[in-house]
Amino acid sequence: MLEILKRRFRTGIVTTGYPAVPDIAPPGFRGKPELSGDRCTYCGDCVSACPPGVISLEKVNGEEKLTLSYCGCIFCGRCEEVCPYGAVKLTQEYELASKTKDDLQTIIRRKT
Amino acid sequence: MTVENEIEIMGQRLNEKINNMFGRSLHIREVDAGSCNACEVEVTALSNPIYDMERFGVHIVASPRHADMLLVTGPVTRNMELALLKTYNATPSPKLVAAMGSCACNGGIFGDTYASGGGVDKFIPVDVYIPGCPPRPQAVIFGLMVAMDKFEQKIRKTEVKA
Repeated sequence: MLEILKRRFRTGIVTTGYPAVPDIAPPGFRGKPELSGDRCTYCGDCVSACPPGVISLEKVNGEEKLTLSYCGCIFCGRCEEVCPYGAVKLTQEYELASKTKDDLQTIIRRKT
Repeated sequence: MTVENEIEIMGQRLNEKINNMFGRSLHIREVDAGSCNACEVEVTALSNPIYDMERFGVHIVASPRHADMLLVTGPVTRNMELALLKTYNATPSPKLVAAMGSCACNGGIFGDTYASGGGVDKFIPVDVYIPGCPPRPQAVIFGLMVAMDKFEQKIRKTEVKA
């Protein structure tokens, strides 16, 4: 009994104060992927590499449009691996909950 | 007073009412609609001493009839389609639905095939999407807070023109 109590006090409080205290993901954590409009050349390597196929490249009215939806993203990091220009970066951001599907999109455009 | 103003005030009142209903405690029924069990492991981790979901008054219950919210994981498979609809109908109104994991949001790695439905929102209305494969327990807590209107969502649609 005393042993158990002793151990209990030695352990202390383990509960995180998460919503009040911000919790930063450990280094190497694969979170929200971000597209960089300056570096991207719209080659389409990430589109063919994406396993769930959430990245799409469209060419409409002389405009190239690269869309990444976080909705089906499995955060595998393949897009970051295959991109020769380093235009896709996986950040440590993980608080992606959203009330609409529309907000879970990031789009970059370029005129051709 | 115009009709639009009236509708706005009614909306605010409804919001307050919903907040009063769900503000203090939330009972969740976890529905596995064909998930790979990674999301379930994260939900289990929510009730351990480290993440301790019960400090917010969030409980996991054993029956949809006791629940205020359905936490759906998995791309609704054909076998689980009817079970999900039955669970949804058995939950008393007002109810919330959270789609947890990439599969529940959009089909994820399973996509939209003959055996997989490709997202919960094709079958039942979804209130909050929690992407991640699987989402961290902190991300799930954040998602539940967004669903309860305690936090604002951080992510917005971004469009960059070059």
